[in-house]
Amino acid sequence: MVIETTIILRLTAAFTTMYLVALGHSIFEKSGILNLAIDGVFFLSTGVTTAVVVPLTWLLTARGLSLVLSTTLAALTAGLATAIIGIFMAWTLTKLPISHGAVGLSLMFLGYGLGIIAGYEVRLRVGSIRPYTYPDSLGIYLAILAITVLIGLLTYFFIFKTALGTAIRACGENPHVALALGASVLKTRLIAGLLGFFIMGVGASFFVLLWQKYWDIKTYLLGYGWLAFTIALAAGRHPIVLIPLAFMFGGLVEFSITLQARLGLQADLAKMLPFIAALILMIIYGSTKLRRIFEPPGSLGKVFYKEERTI
Amino acid sequence: MSSKVLSTSANISSAESVENVILSARNISKSFPGPVIALDRVSLDLYAGEILALLGENGSGKSTFVKILYGIYTPDHGEILMKTGRILERVTINSPADAMSKGILMVSQVPQLISKLTVAENMALTLTSLRIHGVKSLTSIKKILKIISEESEKIGIKIDPNEKVYNLTYTQKQLVEILRAMIVNAKILLLDEALTYLPLLERRKLYQALLKLKEQGGSIVIITHKISEAMEISNRIAVLRAGKIVGVVNTWETTIDQVRVMMFGEERSKQISYVKVQTINPRGEPRIIIRNLHVEDDYGREIVRGVNLTIHAGEVVGIAGISGNGQRELLESIVGLRKIKSGDIYVDNVNVKRSGVKNIRELGVSFIPDRLLEHGISPEESIVENIAACTVRNGINIPWGLIEEISRELINSYQIIAPSTKTPVKYLSGGNILKTIVAREIENAKKALIACNPTRTLDEVSAIYVRRRIREKAVNENLAVLIASEDLDEVLMVSDIIYVMNTGRLYGPLTPEAPCEDIEKLMVM
Repeated sequence: MVIETTIILRLTAAFTTMYLVALGHSIFEKSGILNLAIDGVFFLSTGVTTAVVVPLTWLLTARGLSLVLSTTLAALTAGLATAIIGIFMAWTLTKLPISHGAVGLSLMFLGYGLGIIAGYEVRLRVGSIRPYTYPDSLGIYLAILAITVLIGLLTYFFIFKTALGTAIRACGENPHVALALGASVLKTRLIAGLLGFFIMGVGASFFVLLWQKYWDIKTYLLGYGWLAFTIALAAGRHPIVLIPLAFMFGGLVEFSITLQARLGLQADLAKMLPFIAALILMIIYGSTKLRRIFEPPGSLGKVFYKEERTI
Repeated sequence: MSSKVLSTSANISSAESVENVILSARNISKSFPGPVIALDRVSLDLYAGEILALLGENGSGKSTFVKILYGIYTPDHGEILMKTGRILERVTINSPADAMSKGILMVSQVPQLISKLTVAENMALTLTSLRIHGVKSLTSIKKILKIISEESEKIGIKIDPNEKVYNLTYTQKQLVEILRAMIVNAKILLLDEALTYLPLLERRKLYQALLKLKEQGGSIVIITHKISEAMEISNRIAVLRAGKIVGVVNTWETTIDQVRVMMFGEERSKQISYVKVQTINPRGEPRIIIRNLHVEDDYGREIVRGVNLTIHAGEVVGIAGISGNGQRELLESIVGLRKIKSGDIYVDNVNVKRSGVKNIRELGVSFIPDRLLEHGISPEESIVENIAACTVRNGINIPWGLIEEISRELINSYQIIAPSTKTPVKYLSGGNILKTIVAREIENAKKALIACNPTRTLDEVSAIYVRRRIREKAVNENLAVLIASEDLDEVLMVSDIIYVMNTGRLYGPLTPEAPCEDIEKLMVM
């Protein structure tokens, strides 16, 4: 029974983290901006979370408030910090005709640096982050899981069933036409940046607060941001399709050591499993009619210049 | 001619004219890097309840002018005034949303709709930006769907708002645009080659909608390369040449010849001749053979359905049809740009079904694509580099001196308006970009030329030159030519044999002497 609960907790934590990061990333990319900053933003969020959760827990628990409140507030703060990056990225890449790749990769490295600056000192001071994370309670984990799935459903409704969500998709397909139809490409992408990066930031904070309950400057070497990137890609950036894939990939990462032991795999090969699974999925999509459903936005990564000649 | 010039905003004489002005553009200038001066102190008034035709040769600044009125381009100088109550007030138009809020709406030749979205979703963008019927950012698409259904019923334009745009015909897409104009209650409608190439019957349907708008006091600006269309529908004609207004005349007071002189000058307008270069040689050997071809479009639907066609050396085969009936996909599959679902294509008895673009081009096949920016040109590169891309096939060294010379010759013979051969193509006007591609492909063709709308954005003089060159190449150099064009007049002028393409099937063959009505019936059946 204890083992089963542990498995549920681990799987829930892995899913929540990977799903929210992939979901936020998908919202942003739906607006047509290629997000290569994802891994840096993931790490930045974990650094900010570490920096915020410790003093906040001291402050709030001294006033008799619960640990769940301080951890939740820390997650939201991390979301706000990453949202600033999202807004900056959306503004730069819509207002100025510059490369999405260059800006994304620069912000990725900036994210690594800022993440270290934010979290390093606090981490040194407290040694272990574990006492400042969510308690290992099945109730809390399931509540977070329920909220996460609810966010996913709301995102689906927002993207596919509302006028603003339609504007985000339109800007991703063809920003020139979206503009001609009356949408403000800048405003729409700023909203996508704010919302997408906020969700990404909250999701990444769960890496520290819910999943690993650990933070170190070497966390940036793990490449979990890229894994979320791959999940979003394999799910065609669709909020609902992301759910089973985030479960599958989160599970593969979380239980790679178990798989390694059970199947007698080498450690390095076990770590590759999620990425191999993603590649297989993408090949299946790409070579069947599913590619039409999961194809990327038509203008993803294309430089937008309002006065560009179009024929 | 000058006696026919009635008014520009600089010389409005009667108080009544001023009273009727709904929009006044004053001293509008716009240049692009290059440097390209697109508009040079253009002043033009638009009256309530009129249809104004804006004419001019390629690169004269027509599209730039309407794009400024629609907020896509920002002018370098000048001002726009609009009637508010009884006075003209200066307005700033920074975006299409701005323009629409002032009652200005533009419809382009290429429908400005997002194919993957439904009609209602496309409309949602406009309704949200103008807050029409209380539509806000978080309004559900379901509610918008209901609004569009009710409005289209009221206006009398039958369109299923739940239909994906890629499922609509070209005419239906343009109807959606007109419906959009009606829903936003547009006072000024800018039509940039929007109706020009529709068959007469379809065009007349849209004219009815335009006349309704006009009767309600709205004004329409029509850009067209067909002077006959301008003569048929407009009240006044304004002519731009090299970015300047050269005259504004009442349509009923002028003739096609007079307008041609205004557009091209005395000398160039004399080059306009519709005498067809006749075939003198007997029919040559079959050069391209297509057998039971099936092809899918970008959305996985079968768009070419069992096409059989043979094109002989020395003949021009024309395919007429409304855009979206599979012509583009058929041509793309012949040159290897589109995967073939089933069937075979032979070039000089070689099955090229899986050959790829490079090998097909090496067999001497040239291609003028429909999607110019995707398949025809590298917009960031210069004219000379774009010409080199298809001229140089072998070897490591590029003979830049020779290419430069060829480029200059092509610029002269096709009258491409460009500051220099080194100018990046993206700074040229739409018509001059097409001329660059057309010149390169026609003059490089060795065995066959496959062309999709080769003169679509060209002015009359340039279009006639291109059509003559195509026929000369077929007759004198034994080239096999396949042309698909939305312009039925062009198909009739250039072809030896005509087919009509409708819903993926070819109907024919017909001769160019066949009655126009018969061909149009096949196009819309």
